[in-house]
Amino acid sequence: MNNSILFSARLSLQVAWVATAFIIVTGVPAAYFLARKDFKGKELIDIIFTLPLVLPPTVTGYYLIVIFGRNGLIGKMIYDRTGFTIMFTWYAAVLASFVVALPLMVKTARAAIESVDRNLINASYTLGHGEIETALRVILPLAKKGIIAGIVLSFARAMGEFGATLMLAGNIPGKTDTMPLAIYSLAISDEWTQAHTMVILLTIMSGLFLYIANIYTKRSI
Amino acid sequence: MLRGFSRISVVVLFIAVIFSSVTFAESPKEIIVSAAADLSRAFKEIGAVYEKETGVKVLLNFGSTGLLAQQIEGGAPVDLFAAANKSYIDSLEGKGLILPETRKLYAVGRITLATPKSYAKLSFLQDLLRPEVKKIAIANPAHAPYGMAAKAAMEKIGIWKRLKDKLVLAENIRQTLDYVETGSVDAGIVALSVSIGSNTNFTLIPEELHPRIEQAMAVIKNGRNPKEAKGFADFINGPAGRPIMKKYGFVLPVGMK
Repeated sequence: MNNSILFSARLSLQVAWVATAFIIVTGVPAAYFLARKDFKGKELIDIIFTLPLVLPPTVTGYYLIVIFGRNGLIGKMIYDRTGFTIMFTWYAAVLASFVVALPLMVKTARAAIESVDRNLINASYTLGHGEIETALRVILPLAKKGIIAGIVLSFARAMGEFGATLMLAGNIPGKTDTMPLAIYSLAISDEWTQAHTMVILLTIMSGLFLYIANIYTKRSI
Repeated sequence: MLRGFSRISVVVLFIAVIFSSVTFAESPKEIIVSAAADLSRAFKEIGAVYEKETGVKVLLNFGSTGLLAQQIEGGAPVDLFAAANKSYIDSLEGKGLILPETRKLYAVGRITLATPKSYAKLSFLQDLLRPEVKKIAIANPAHAPYGMAAKAAMEKIGIWKRLKDKLVLAENIRQTLDYVETGSVDAGIVALSVSIGSNTNFTLIPEELHPRIEQAMAVIKNGRNPKEAKGFADFINGPAGRPIMKKYGFVLPVGMK
């Protein structure tokens, strides 16, 4: 197989894994708080988390440039201090995938946590478990199916991320061209034979992950 | 049964994690060149020659000119920007983002009248009035430079109003060509650079019929390696680069800078 195809396939996987890891670490607690706590501005936070799901990825990408670009609100602070800019690095692809895929995790996990039987939660409290113990030993295990579904959806979305990644990470062969970006490049430069190989590879990879996910979701019934 | 499956899937996941760790090769000097999408074939070829001759690594970033300009405004670490239309370079210059003395033309765009391979070649724009030509693709003249040129040429010979209802507007020049190649339209007006090597019959449209499509490039002010970027720009317009540019339809009249 062609080297550049192999590179793109590996980069796509790497970006998706790293983004998904961050999504699990931040998304599950966020979903828990949104499902179980009442606080001021809760729905506003939910909307902010969900927006990247409905906005065109190019708009999300534009926001990311405005915030994290070298002249951006946070990007400038980082650049002035360290001389580093995230733009055009593979970290930018991770950031774009993270932001775009996070809502899928939060939405699915929140619904799953909300549907956990209140009686079981109350029973746990009655038996003397504290909140953290109840969350870890009762609520999250019962919501496992939804959380796993959220992880899989986020991963799949991260693998296929295009618009926001194109804007923040650029489309640099051998550096930031994940499979969707590489396919776009090949298509616009009329190199359909290589594009076909990558399209088929991406389809097989995504199908394989969904297959694994289905097995896991079935098992946790 | 399920147990067996899940063991396999753990192994697959494990392999996927191992397989997915990419290593990035570090090179001593590298430049990032943002280029309009239609330049991809030409710049890849020139970039490879330049790398071989100088040892400077050329990283190419392709996209639509508008998107690339937005990245540069956002502070993307770009060293050289080759725009499809010089107006984008003008606008970046107005914002103080390029080194003005480095701006130069890399091509003057030409347009062609193209028909699908299985159709007869059309030699004159007037042929578009023929009844068998039912749909004509052009790039959207509202924002695409080649679309503006197509509209201007049709206006110049007075057929624009009569053809308006036959027009299909494409997002960019590549998509315009796709419409023609696939036979979705009976004819189209596209760029010479995408016509070459395409699956169409095409005729060059005389350049007097439309305002000049000037394609410019410039070194970006906050780039990391401005000297190397300037070197690459000179290389594109030099004796090694020009023949490759010409091969892909990017022509520069003699004596123009």
